[in-house]
Amino acid sequence: MNANIMNRSELIYHTIAIVTLAIFIILLWNFTSDVSYVEDQTSSDVMTEETVSTIYGLLYRMIPSFCGVILFSIAISFYLEEWLHQTSWQYQIIERYIAILARVPSLVVGILAVYFILFHFQNITYYSLLLTVVLLVMPFTIRSTQKAIQTVDMSVREAAYALGATRWRVVTSHVFPHTFPKILAVIGTAISRILAVAALLVAGVWIYVSNSFNIPKSVILMITGAVIVSVLSSLLDWKK
Amino acid sequence: MDTNNYSIETENLSLWYGDFQALIDVSVNIPTGKITSLIGPSGCGKTTLLRCFNRVNERYGNVTTEGEIKILGKNIYDPDVSLLELRKTVGMVFQRPNPLPISVYENILFGLRIHSPFRSLNRTQADEIVEEALTAVFLWDDLKDKLKMRATSLQLEQQQKLCIARLLPLKPQVILMDEPCSALDAKGTLAVEELMSVLAGSYTFLIVTHNMAQAKRVSDECIYMFLGELIEHRETQALFETPEHPKTADYVQMRYG
Repeated sequence: MNANIMNRSELIYHTIAIVTLAIFIILLWNFTSDVSYVEDQTSSDVMTEETVSTIYGLLYRMIPSFCGVILFSIAISFYLEEWLHQTSWQYQIIERYIAILARVPSLVVGILAVYFILFHFQNITYYSLLLTVVLLVMPFTIRSTQKAIQTVDMSVREAAYALGATRWRVVTSHVFPHTFPKILAVIGTAISRILAVAALLVAGVWIYVSNSFNIPKSVILMITGAVIVSVLSSLLDWKK
Repeated sequence: MDTNNYSIETENLSLWYGDFQALIDVSVNIPTGKITSLIGPSGCGKTTLLRCFNRVNERYGNVTTEGEIKILGKNIYDPDVSLLELRKTVGMVFQRPNPLPISVYENILFGLRIHSPFRSLNRTQADEIVEEALTAVFLWDDLKDKLKMRATSLQLEQQQKLCIARLLPLKPQVILMDEPCSALDAKGTLAVEELMSVLAGSYTFLIVTHNMAQAKRVSDECIYMFLGELIEHRETQALFETPEHPKTADYVQMRYG
């Protein structure tokens, strides 16, 4: 009976992977074969110097959304690890799909985002940025938080359950406090990923609009910020 | 208390992990207020049987159970049974000492805090409970100045005693022990065994052990299991000296296992 469930989840998992690949290949085909369309659009004046200032506005607006995405991802990873049975097909599918997405380097997501915003849509909107944040942060955060939760010794959970603790109690009084430093480190890394991609985006737009490589200071600041945050978060992770 | 003096009764209990049948038609009665030990070669279902009694088995998906388990006369698979109450009545001590990674003081109170309304314990009551529990397991003198210490930094023997102590405030009727001494040295084993025999009158103990000398020393009754089946259940001395079943004889006379 169990073997059947595994096979079904395996099948769904492979289907998802193949469909995703197919979509990417079709998209790529579409863009590469349609170069003339892209070149036509570059002559329009949709992107102007105003765009650079609207980007900053949008980036600030992203901060609360970023926090929301982070909290949501952490909640999902606790749900996956503590509530779902790891043999259930739901767990298998979500877990593996996230594993695929988490392996995509942040640079790839960043370059894709810049490409879409600059050359394809010629427009920068709240939703395109939100999509970038979701793709960049969610799989990575869920995966790393899951790993942190898995480091909590099974015997601690067993002890608490055997004393009659509910799942909620076990998570709030043991699993969460134990993983908290690691979760902070994960959040730090997520912030630095976002800062790096934001720097890439601002630089890309700047070069595109002004046609010069005289990149604004804010880009350098964002990159420095990304480095500082990632160093700090690795320090947090060091202790345990 | 149950009229027929058995704390745990099972009838035709079978259990599967997926397709694998780990327990086959186990029917057993565990007497109240005594120490009963479960012996048998590795993988024979001792621990599985033990874990059925407070339903911790259920946490690992794909487990199917058939048959009946009555604890203090009540079927624990009845829909009106609360897991919280069940685990309060049936305490469990694990193979590796597993104190929670909090202070000694909080370890003792953790169970009680789960089972009592929020903030219903006042400081003096809590202090008394902790002292009582630690005294019962002979740890009070060693630990009275270290109550704020992290429980995971104690010696293994003390940790295991603490794991027993933290059950006591819940006033369990049955204490299940899964190879409680396998991580301890000779001195620690002796201390835990002594503790068990002192507590035996007031609690029903069911212990899984690989150590036959230990089964002989501490238990009143002994159950031999083999490949998921219950082979023999008799008084310890009788089981070791005049085993009825040839499989039991092979095992207890060390021809097997």
